[in-house]
Amino acid sequence: MHLPPWFWYAAVVLITWGVVGILQKLSTNYISAESSLIWLVVGFFLLQPLLYPGRAVFAYSARSLTWAVLSGVFNALGAWALFAAMKSGGKASIVGPFTALYPLVVVLIAPILLHESITLLQGAGVACALVAVVLLST
Amino acid sequence: MPSFAIFKAKWFWYSTLCVLSWGAWALLSKLGSNEIPAETMQFIFTFGALPVAVVLLVARRFKLEKSPKGISYAVANGVLSGIGGLAFFAAFRSNANTAVVASATSLYPMITVVLAVTILRERLTWVQVVGLGFAAAAIVIFSFSV
Repeated sequence: MHLPPWFWYAAVVLITWGVVGILQKLSTNYISAESSLIWLVVGFFLLQPLLYPGRAVFAYSARSLTWAVLSGVFNALGAWALFAAMKSGGKASIVGPFTALYPLVVVLIAPILLHESITLLQGAGVACALVAVVLLST
Repeated sequence: MPSFAIFKAKWFWYSTLCVLSWGAWALLSKLGSNEIPAETMQFIFTFGALPVAVVLLVARRFKLEKSPKGISYAVANGVLSGIGGLAFFAAFRSNANTAVVASATSLYPMITVVLAVTILRERLTWVQVVGLGFAAAAIVIFSFSV
């Protein structure tokens, strides 16, 4: 069976972010969630020399560069909101599954914003994934 | 009579903010990846995450716990998250369906649960076992629907 490149990239995401879930648990055994996020960003910066694009970065449109910066802002904002939810009395067993529903936003908005549609089979896969993530986050 | 008490709970609104923020993050990742390659996306993304870390640092009055173990785990967390981020942007760049990529990559708690059982010797709940079943079904469906 031939699998397209995105499938393998998704597998790398699953493995690395799956291990991240364990490291997150281990780090918050010793330091607060906020400190964990701060040091996580330090970890991001350790990769920067390897990723440095040089002057090529100025060749991209301002619009795409803005999307890239905003993607970082929203990712970190979401992580902060998750910590804040836990701190303000939200039970981990509820907040975890609730926040795992973020792909739902993509599923609802992608057809309007990106004019993409999904097949019935893909829709079934998305539904299974959403149920799985909610159940696994308990 | 349904109870609307949940709408008065702060955690509910913070959780909603999280869902909306991460939804926006995934959509913006797709929009940016249309033009920018994965390495550069991750490079620029990191500068976007910086202000939030600085705000947290200021809120904590620059006082961070000095646990070498905790710090090492958290920094390793960042390095691995960044590598995963590269693959996340690369998946979006490969012209795959955005909703499918966002859903497939959100299955990472599956690996966390399996590792927690094998490394941390945690026990699986029945709900998590059912969750693993749904995750496996999703992966099989995605592999046939591409």
